Amino acid sequence: MKNFNEKFQPIITLLARLVLGAVLLVAGGLKAFVPAEAASAVAAYKILPTQVAHIVGYALPWLEIAIGTLLIIGLSVRMMSLISGAIMVVFIAAIISVWARGILIDCGCFGGGGVIDPSQAAKAHRAYAIEIARDLGLGLCALYLYFFPYGLFSLEKSQSVKKESENV
Amino acid sequence: MSKQARSGSGGDNFTRWLVIGMVALVVVTGVAFSMMSSSTKANESFKALDDYTLGAPISTTLDSGAGSGLVLNPGAPVRIDIWEDPQCPVCETFESSLGRYVETMIRSQRATVVYHIASFLGPESIRTANAMMCAADESQYLDFHKSVYMVQPALENSGFYSNENLIKIGEKIGIKSEKFKECVASGAKLELVKTHADSMAAYNVRGTPTVFINGKLWERMSNSFDENEFRLAVEAG
Repeated sequence: MKNFNEKFQPIITLLARLVLGAVLLVAGGLKAFVPAEAASAVAAYKILPTQVAHIVGYALPWLEIAIGTLLIIGLSVRMMSLISGAIMVVFIAAIISVWARGILIDCGCFGGGGVIDPSQAAKAHRAYAIEIARDLGLGLCALYLYFFPYGLFSLEKSQSVKKESENV
Repeated sequence: MSKQARSGSGGDNFTRWLVIGMVALVVVTGVAFSMMSSSTKANESFKALDDYTLGAPISTTLDSGAGSGLVLNPGAPVRIDIWEDPQCPVCETFESSLGRYVETMIRSQRATVVYHIASFLGPESIRTANAMMCAADESQYLDFHKSVYMVQPALENSGFYSNENLIKIGEKIGIKSEKFKECVASGAKLELVKTHADSMAAYNVRGTPTVFINGKLWERMSNSFDENEFRLAVEAG
């Protein structure tokens, strides 16, 4: 396993960056230009006071776009992995919270959002499970990037890699 | 692992702060852009009321037996009970699709319509419900209620339905009496708002809009609010 990781680490890092970065970029891009929708989606979780929830709804898409872009181009990957890991934990906690409180909503992860009709309860619960699994997977990408932030096609190189290439 | 672990030195610290600064800048600009576009949209919505012509006043009575619903045109052969929350987007769809028909039924005295104003979507629903009841005292419930939906913002509880804006809606459509303004500003009808809200349970109303025709729940078949479907249901009683 260790050997495998040593051999393929730059590729795995690249893949993790692309997957996590692309998902964040798409999720942010779909929400950034429908601010009212994004703001009500956050308010529908009924975790934050409405006014605060609206500001979070306005800010989150742009944060996702910024992190996603930096991950894809490979700049400050370790710091971005920390932030994206943290927001994945927040997302998972938020979904568990609505699930536990019996609130039926569309997560609004990629736009949309809001309350779901009670007749769709089974579907909504399945969606919660899928969302938690997806965010766990993305969180694992972030975890990997924390330990191995430098890989292929990255704008930023680790210092030892720089030295190696200077020596050649 | 060792290869990846360290990267700290003076130059990198600078990059780190630069990146943090850029991310913060993007987020702050985005929030400012979003807030501005929402509030411009809300203020522009008043334009929809620019050429509003106020209809003839219709007096409103309270039906004490039915959760103090607002009764328009009592004594007609058909009775329609409508439950709406002023902030509910589907109620806006209901009003824009069927509002005209309902108004005709009232004005031509073919139906008694009883409005129950739900206010479960937050403080701005309560405030708006209060203003709607104030308008009922001015015999202008129909027009005020219609214009409230015409300017409904996409975002609930965003600060748009403030008492100032509710008075402004009244002014724009021609409800200018001091009594109305006073009533809106002081929350004179809040008790009645609560009576309406509490009566939801008694009628087993779980969401809005909910419509009863002669006491029977109207279950629509189509996804949209189809005027023909509604008209047939009303005519069937």
